[in-house]
Amino acid sequence: MATTFENSGVLDKSANPKRFRQQFSGKLIQIFSLVVPIILLGLIIFLAINAWPAMKLNGVSFLTNSNWNLGSQYGKPITVDGMQVLPGANYGILFLIFGTLASSFLALLFAIPVGLLAAMFISEIIPSRLRESVALLAELLASVPSVVFGLWGYVVVIPVFSHYVYPVIAAILGFIPFFAAPVRSGYGLLTAGIVLALMVVPIITANMRDAISAVPSADIESAFALGSTRFEMVWKVVLPQIKRPLIGVSILGLGRAMGETMAVLMVSGNALHIPKNIYSPMSTMASFLVSQLSSAMEDPTGMAVNSLVEVGLMLLILGVLVNAAARLLLLNTGKN
Amino acid sequence: MAISSSVSTDAEAFRDSRDSQTVDQRRSSTETRANSETTARSMKSNSKPQNSQMSKLSVRDLNFYYGDFQAIKNVSLEIEAQKVTAFIGPSGCGKSSLLRCFNRIYELYPGHMATGEIRLNGRNVLDKKVDRNLLRSKIGMVFQKPTPFPMSVYDNIAFGVKLYERLRRHEMQERVEWSLKKAALWDEVKDKLDKSGASLSGGQQQRLCIARAIAVKPEVLLLDEPASALDPIASAKIEELVHELRTDYTVVIVTHNMQQAARVADDTAFFHLGEIIEFTDTDTLFTQPSEKRTEDYITGRYG
Repeated sequence: MATTFENSGVLDKSANPKRFRQQFSGKLIQIFSLVVPIILLGLIIFLAINAWPAMKLNGVSFLTNSNWNLGSQYGKPITVDGMQVLPGANYGILFLIFGTLASSFLALLFAIPVGLLAAMFISEIIPSRLRESVALLAELLASVPSVVFGLWGYVVVIPVFSHYVYPVIAAILGFIPFFAAPVRSGYGLLTAGIVLALMVVPIITANMRDAISAVPSADIESAFALGSTRFEMVWKVVLPQIKRPLIGVSILGLGRAMGETMAVLMVSGNALHIPKNIYSPMSTMASFLVSQLSSAMEDPTGMAVNSLVEVGLMLLILGVLVNAAARLLLLNTGKN
Repeated sequence: MAISSSVSTDAEAFRDSRDSQTVDQRRSSTETRANSETTARSMKSNSKPQNSQMSKLSVRDLNFYYGDFQAIKNVSLEIEAQKVTAFIGPSGCGKSSLLRCFNRIYELYPGHMATGEIRLNGRNVLDKKVDRNLLRSKIGMVFQKPTPFPMSVYDNIAFGVKLYERLRRHEMQERVEWSLKKAALWDEVKDKLDKSGASLSGGQQQRLCIARAIAVKPEVLLLDEPASALDPIASAKIEELVHELRTDYTVVIVTHNMQQAARVADDTAFFHLGEIIEFTDTDTLFTQPSEKRTEDYITGRYG
């Protein structure tokens, strides 16, 4: 005769011998999964707290003027809106926003075609026995420390390009306002863009390789079965299917370029104004934080550091926005 | 027909052989039907009785390898023009592999290799001098799963045509309509030519793939289990279509479904372990197989 389970407690939760282990591990996972968003939130909150005096002092003009001046270190601090500031101090970062966006977009401009073609070449053109090793080489680029890229820019790009390449570009494209001479030292926007591009290329190549391998092999076979050449297949069947991932991947690359510090600092010329042409010195938000921090520490009122923290906060917000946009696009692509 | 001046000689060769075939065809269709009963039984199993002049595809001593594994062993057969030829047999018997040799699509994958001869209108297509892309424009292929490209119905059809022909807009429109009508799909999609090919039902997608293959005006159509991913109604429509297509094309169909082979094919070849066990007209194969293994398979005793 079958024993009845009714009211016997045999199936109660408390009767499960694994109950405590299950509950404990569940809680543990919950706690750890909360750590990451808490860190991000904490970072934003602490930056905001430290930047708050500067935000009150600077207002909107922080984003709309290009005059960054720490003021006279030896002058007596004055009081503005109830806050202590060095005389002559002014904090405006429009030139940094411009430099950050311009160098990053330049980097993308170079990196997207190179990275995409490299991905197509690796996935579809080269013999399959060489494929993995070439892919590995391309992706190894991603693990080169950025300071090494900066050094390469400093030693190779600046002397060679400023003498032999930029003058030619200036001569050919000089009729476009931003491309006209003078070329001068070679430290500047274009060099920063080129060095950044090299760092973004492996990101684009690796991700686009994944996107290309997600193109159904049935589509590829069908294209060949109709008599396509390899080029026609890639151009007409693969490319249309990787347009959307390409957008997402490009924005990821943009985030990488915007946050880059050392390599940019080494080749940008670190100027405090909006560059006059594409060859001129400039600064980005990330590199500026590094180059200004020690001077800002000298400010007895602390307002310089507060303002730098505000720069950092703006960079973080920009980075989060860019990444969120990328996730959103990639998410939508996944649905397709 | 002529694709560019460089291939005009090939094209003429094709045309010539086609002309002579139609004459042969008309004469022989009465003869072979009458003869087939007697000759089929008297022949050795793996070569059909026929005049090699009239065969569209002629396979001689074909071996095919996936790396070290030999999937096809010394196969020879003649596939007649304007007929439906079915390949049946258990999984792994080499029937799909043989199909993939005809248009050299196997070359996409490293380690896949074919030796021997496959003659299309007399020209050995395995010859390295034969341009495989041009070959594939002459030998269309439809796969097991419908594979519409992620583009509109219209662009799906135009895709293959644009590869080898420069058509004016209205000529292209006519071609699209013509091929969709041929594939018995026009009435269902004429109002949604600009909709994505993926928005059609599975059966419609498969007919779209057939239309796409036809639009290039190939001579041979290879169908690799074209109905096995479809429901019975969609499957029946494909069968009907295949049956009609043979008036214009030489059709080779691989199928797991023996009833399907019996319904659509003029000739049927039974494959087992990479060899042709029996190749004859469909009626004979299914009613009076001369080989014990064929009989075992068609009666469901193995496979």
